[in-house]
Amino acid sequence: MKIATIKTPDQVIIPLQQHAGAACNPLVRVGDTVSIGQLIGDGEFRIHSSVSGEVTALSEMPHPSGKDVLSVVIKTRNGEKKDINPEELHAGTIKSIIREFGIVEPNGLSTVSKKVDIDTIIINGTNTGDLSSNAALMLDHPSEIVYGLKALMESVGAKKAIIIIELNSEALHVMRTETIPDSNIKIVATPAYYPAGTENTLVTKFARKKVPRGSTPDDRGVLVSSIAAIKALYDAVHDGIPMIAKTVTVAGAVRSPGNVLVEIGTSVKHVIDECGGCSGTPVKIVINGAISGATQYSDEVPVIKTTSGILVQTESDINREPPAPCINCAWCVDECPIGLMPHLLYGYADSAQFDKCAELYISDCVECGMCAYVCPSKLPLVQIIRYGKHGVAEMEGGTMEAEA
Amino acid sequence: MTYTISPLPHVKSRESVKSVMWGTVAALIPISLAAIYLFGFPAIKIILATVVAAVVAEIIIYKAASQPITIDDGNAVLVGLLLALLMPPSVSDHIWVPIIGAVFAIAVAKYIFGGTGTLVFHPALIGFAFLLAAWPTFMGAQSTPNLGGFSDLLLETGAGRLVESSPALVLLGGAIVLYKRYVDRRVALSATILLILLILITGKGWQLPYVLTGGFFLGLVFLAADPITSPVTKRGRLIYGILLAVLILIQLHFGAYFTGMCFAVLMMNVFSPLIDRSTIPKPIGGK
Repeated sequence: MKIATIKTPDQVIIPLQQHAGAACNPLVRVGDTVSIGQLIGDGEFRIHSSVSGEVTALSEMPHPSGKDVLSVVIKTRNGEKKDINPEELHAGTIKSIIREFGIVEPNGLSTVSKKVDIDTIIINGTNTGDLSSNAALMLDHPSEIVYGLKALMESVGAKKAIIIIELNSEALHVMRTETIPDSNIKIVATPAYYPAGTENTLVTKFARKKVPRGSTPDDRGVLVSSIAAIKALYDAVHDGIPMIAKTVTVAGAVRSPGNVLVEIGTSVKHVIDECGGCSGTPVKIVINGAISGATQYSDEVPVIKTTSGILVQTESDINREPPAPCINCAWCVDECPIGLMPHLLYGYADSAQFDKCAELYISDCVECGMCAYVCPSKLPLVQIIRYGKHGVAEMEGGTMEAEA
Repeated sequence: MTYTISPLPHVKSRESVKSVMWGTVAALIPISLAAIYLFGFPAIKIILATVVAAVVAEIIIYKAASQPITIDDGNAVLVGLLLALLMPPSVSDHIWVPIIGAVFAIAVAKYIFGGTGTLVFHPALIGFAFLLAAWPTFMGAQSTPNLGGFSDLLLETGAGRLVESSPALVLLGGAIVLYKRYVDRRVALSATILLILLILITGKGWQLPYVLTGGFFLGLVFLAADPITSPVTKRGRLIYGILLAVLILIQLHFGAYFTGMCFAVLMMNVFSPLIDRSTIPKPIGGK
């Protein structure tokens, strides 16, 4: 058992936006009694209550994205640990199942977005840096993941699937054993590298299909999904349970780090406390990975469907070295998974030459953070490139889409 | 409780400009020691003179221009040490010559071109070229190394310059900086391999012993592949290495060995921005 369970918190804050796109409409009012698994928000992706209890507030609350988002606050009814009522699985397309059960990929999007012919499914089972929830899920639930994957393959008509796992991961052997009877599911071992999660690079590398700029992998018949979404799909199809919990890696300066199963809406503070609390004074709380995660203003933010890791950093983990001039070492150019020129983008964006930024394809940047990680001059590359992206968007008259 | 908010990434690699510069200096220490072993006191005198002159010049110039003094990043020490290694030991009788070279390197090649990171020409090479033009008689090496046997690889007794005292130790330092990526692998390896191939193909095999000496290895690894003055794009770095090898071959044809290599690198420095500009890569996914 790699994934530990934690005590249900006294209160959950369930934001009505846990995906990219428009927020859901609330279906409950203050004072309502809700039961676990009950539908509380409707929209592009449905949102369900993760606990049984009473709705105490419906207001703007802190959200991991840094903005305040309309959220349903539910006070857990003490002592009552009611079993979830399985939701009736209506016969329907995979798209409606995903919507009804509120299954969101870690990037905030839907697993199946367009109605196209899918030939290959790629499951990203790699973990980067401090995150290990994918490996933990595969170790704990190998047969469930294969079941969920088969369901997805059948419903989209895919002929084969590839699960990508790191060479040194324990899950590699488990998943290989699990998929022996299935000749159409291939386990691919890869050396650990970052960023593995960029869809287009994954497809180019493992499905050997080039994804032209401006199109998505499903245009080429490839669907990219994640272990977390496949497990949620299994829960939905097999057990009728909507996405109300998430496996989250707790790492960094906590007393007992590891992977825990957390109800959606649980505050980060509660999760950290249940993992033994902080060791040392926490200075930075990062959600979703040390390299590309987002820092949090408060530890009151809830765990949402796209959360996969909580990292606590102390002062000694933080590099506050002032930036030095760029020395043209080209490490950022070598690291960029997209093939951009990060140091040039930095220079042009820093001097507000947005036309030059656009010429150098600044909008293709996926903000993986690798350039700023390797930079020996410690330049804030990602921050300035983001500024450049906004500048380019403004210059072109459009508005920058807010990132979830 | 207040938390620190920052843009990603929240971890950074340990390498810094300081570690790159000082690491390169450290990789040059074995060959400096070999030079001191072979040439004795003159070598110590030259190395100390250029390093101290470069550091003092940088402090005075940056102070006079009220710019932040960045001696601790090791760049001035590196420039001084590289310049010292290019000197013949006989110049120690006129120690003001390498001192002027180091001051010129820092004042003109580094400060006027905008300091670390914005250089066009390698300061150590500019210093060397300046001295070669101003006092050619002092810059002439007493002998030209010729790799005759295995012992010459370890300790070249025919060395005419400090750096030529031991090809093996320059290669050792070169291997360290290549492994640590303190210099550019694409430039260094493409130029070295292509140069050797070109010499063999064009039937100038008898020149190989003159080329496989410490001076050439230093030039190809530490000077040509220097991160600041070499191109940045992946294709550009290969093109740079290839053109450099061709240019060195042309210099060899006219019998210019060590100085020919130095001027080939300086000439390629000129083309570095042009190569960069014309080899901007397309992002993944093509057009």
